[in-house]
Amino acid sequence: MSDKRRIGVYVCHCGGNISDYVDVEKVRDAVKDDQDVVISKNVMFACSDATQQEMIEDIEKEKLDGLVVASCSPMLHLQTFKAVAQRANLNQYQYTQVNLREQCSWTHRDNMEKATEKGIKLVRAGIARTRLTEPLVNIRIETKPKTLVIGGGVSGLRAALALADLGLAVFIVEKEYEVGGWTKKWGKMFPNNKIGSETINTLREQIRQHEAITLFTGAELIKKEGSVGDFAVKIKLVNHEIISFDVGAIIVATGFDSYEPFDGEYGYGLNGVVTLPQFKEMVDKSNGSLNLNGSRVKNLAYIYCVGSRQPEDGDLENPNLYCSRYCCSAAVHTASCVADVDPGINQYHLYRDMRTYGKYEVMFEDAGNKKSLFVRFDGEALPEVKESDDSLIVKVNDMLDGGEEIEIGVDLVVLVTGMVPRKNENLTNILKIPIGLDGFYNEIHPKLRPVETVVAGIFIAGSSQGPKTLAESVISSLSAASKSAGLLMKGYVDLEPFIAEVNTDKCIWCGECEKSCPYGAIEKVFCDTKEVATVISALCKGGGVCIPDCPEDAIELKGYSDNQIKSMIDALMKEVV
Amino acid sequence: MSIVNPSFIEEMSRFTEFNAYACINCGSCTALCPMGIDLLPRRMFRHVMLGLEDKVLENTENIFSCLLCKMCEENCPKDVPIVDNIKSIRWYINREIFKLGRN
Repeated sequence: MSDKRRIGVYVCHCGGNISDYVDVEKVRDAVKDDQDVVISKNVMFACSDATQQEMIEDIEKEKLDGLVVASCSPMLHLQTFKAVAQRANLNQYQYTQVNLREQCSWTHRDNMEKATEKGIKLVRAGIARTRLTEPLVNIRIETKPKTLVIGGGVSGLRAALALADLGLAVFIVEKEYEVGGWTKKWGKMFPNNKIGSETINTLREQIRQHEAITLFTGAELIKKEGSVGDFAVKIKLVNHEIISFDVGAIIVATGFDSYEPFDGEYGYGLNGVVTLPQFKEMVDKSNGSLNLNGSRVKNLAYIYCVGSRQPEDGDLENPNLYCSRYCCSAAVHTASCVADVDPGINQYHLYRDMRTYGKYEVMFEDAGNKKSLFVRFDGEALPEVKESDDSLIVKVNDMLDGGEEIEIGVDLVVLVTGMVPRKNENLTNILKIPIGLDGFYNEIHPKLRPVETVVAGIFIAGSSQGPKTLAESVISSLSAASKSAGLLMKGYVDLEPFIAEVNTDKCIWCGECEKSCPYGAIEKVFCDTKEVATVISALCKGGGVCIPDCPEDAIELKGYSDNQIKSMIDALMKEVV
Repeated sequence: MSIVNPSFIEEMSRFTEFNAYACINCGSCTALCPMGIDLLPRRMFRHVMLGLEDKVLENTENIFSCLLCKMCEENCPKDVPIVDNIKSIRWYINREIFKLGRN
């Protein structure tokens, strides 16, 4: 620590973004004589090619062993300046980025003097941290060219096939005794009327013929260790045997549950009130006429948005605020199928908003042409279902007729139920992937990284991520397959070296760190004459929870050592004169 | 409160077929009507399809005010046969209110 260091400091104007509110000349002057600072400059755009080149020349000429750039957020340019360091043969982890724009100039536009003072402190802290950096090397992990697919519905099966076609081994784990999920249960499905079970049969046959795919049915994942590229998983098979193997990536395609209405919701529980999946089964099985309890159905009503778009301020504890996306299209398609079975059935659709988006709009028109009648209701005045002598009465205010209250006598009420997240607490705990407010698995970025999770190497596919049609589920599963293949076919992944390190002189092996680590990255070893803790580098995430739990202060996080943090705090606290 | 009567439309179709299922309730017909009849044809057709007979019959004046000029039908985005539908309704009213054309 007492070694002399040679640090270069660059304070960026960002073309006025910083220098309009922070006196960057003053910042540079304040730190130019700091300990170990051998070169300090103001630059107009640190990220410009010319300035990057200038930095490289400075590093080489002045033999710098530390670099500080005070510019924008590391989110934007950390990698840029790490690459500058590498091109100048300076270890990339001896570079520190100081966020002078997002966390200083843009935030304190009202007070240039104070902003400048804060800027000086931030740069000083950056220098203090850099002074204590060590050259670190990435941890390189060789990837296992195999993928575990959890869930054997249409998404899981399609992803498995795509990966196997690329020459990668795939294991599918399905908890039911048969593959196919919801799709297998259904008859004609939109938009092309292909029979669901036939779609599954085709996929299953292709999978059967693929040597690279191993399918376990009646099985579940019970343990996952390791990290991206090299996970160790344990599967409990149907005969209760437990097998272990390694995979490089995991695709979660666990699907959805259909919303189950509560007792009395739109008359649910009364004879003749069914959910859309139950109705779909009736239609699929019908032959020439649609029957309920042996008598022919003449009039039926659909009620849309059941279990979706529930009011936030209503009586429900955990309302589903989202639109389930598939149900409008599925309901109008089913109505067309009903009209094909028995054109004499009168079908009334009670809807809030008709969301047969994109190409599915033609199915809405088709249902209308087949004499379905659409009645719009207001979200504030929901329809009511009650029982009368031998039929059901649906009461609704028809918004398309000036809110006229009408009563429709029907034999059957179909509740157009949406999708809800599947309860998979065990799996979620094993994989440690996050769940969104809606209860579905969360992607990292809804637009740019839609199938990746915050756990590197674990991808989400199909309706486990949110309500989707079959076609959209397959799109998402193929996306997960390609992200998985991209990872595995490269052959390796580089992980940042910010992991915990045990000082074996101080360690007394009390086991506290092992207990605190959520990743199982600490184990006991013998060192000379005593038992000590050691960190399994491939498992450590650098979370740092072990550090405060150690009573002997024997653990440091590389790149964020106690001394570095303390020196940064000292620098931040030092008065600016 | 009105009770929906699914068989009303069949009765209405005994003269010529009544068909407004393609209607998307856009209101072009009402907006374009040179007679400024605010009920015809969108809501009237809705009453027929829902089988609200009273609502149909109490609008006899409006239904016979129509000029059959086809301004609405020419501009209907869903090609609803509006004039034929109005003829159906007139036939029904003639029979029910004016007791005409009974066998």
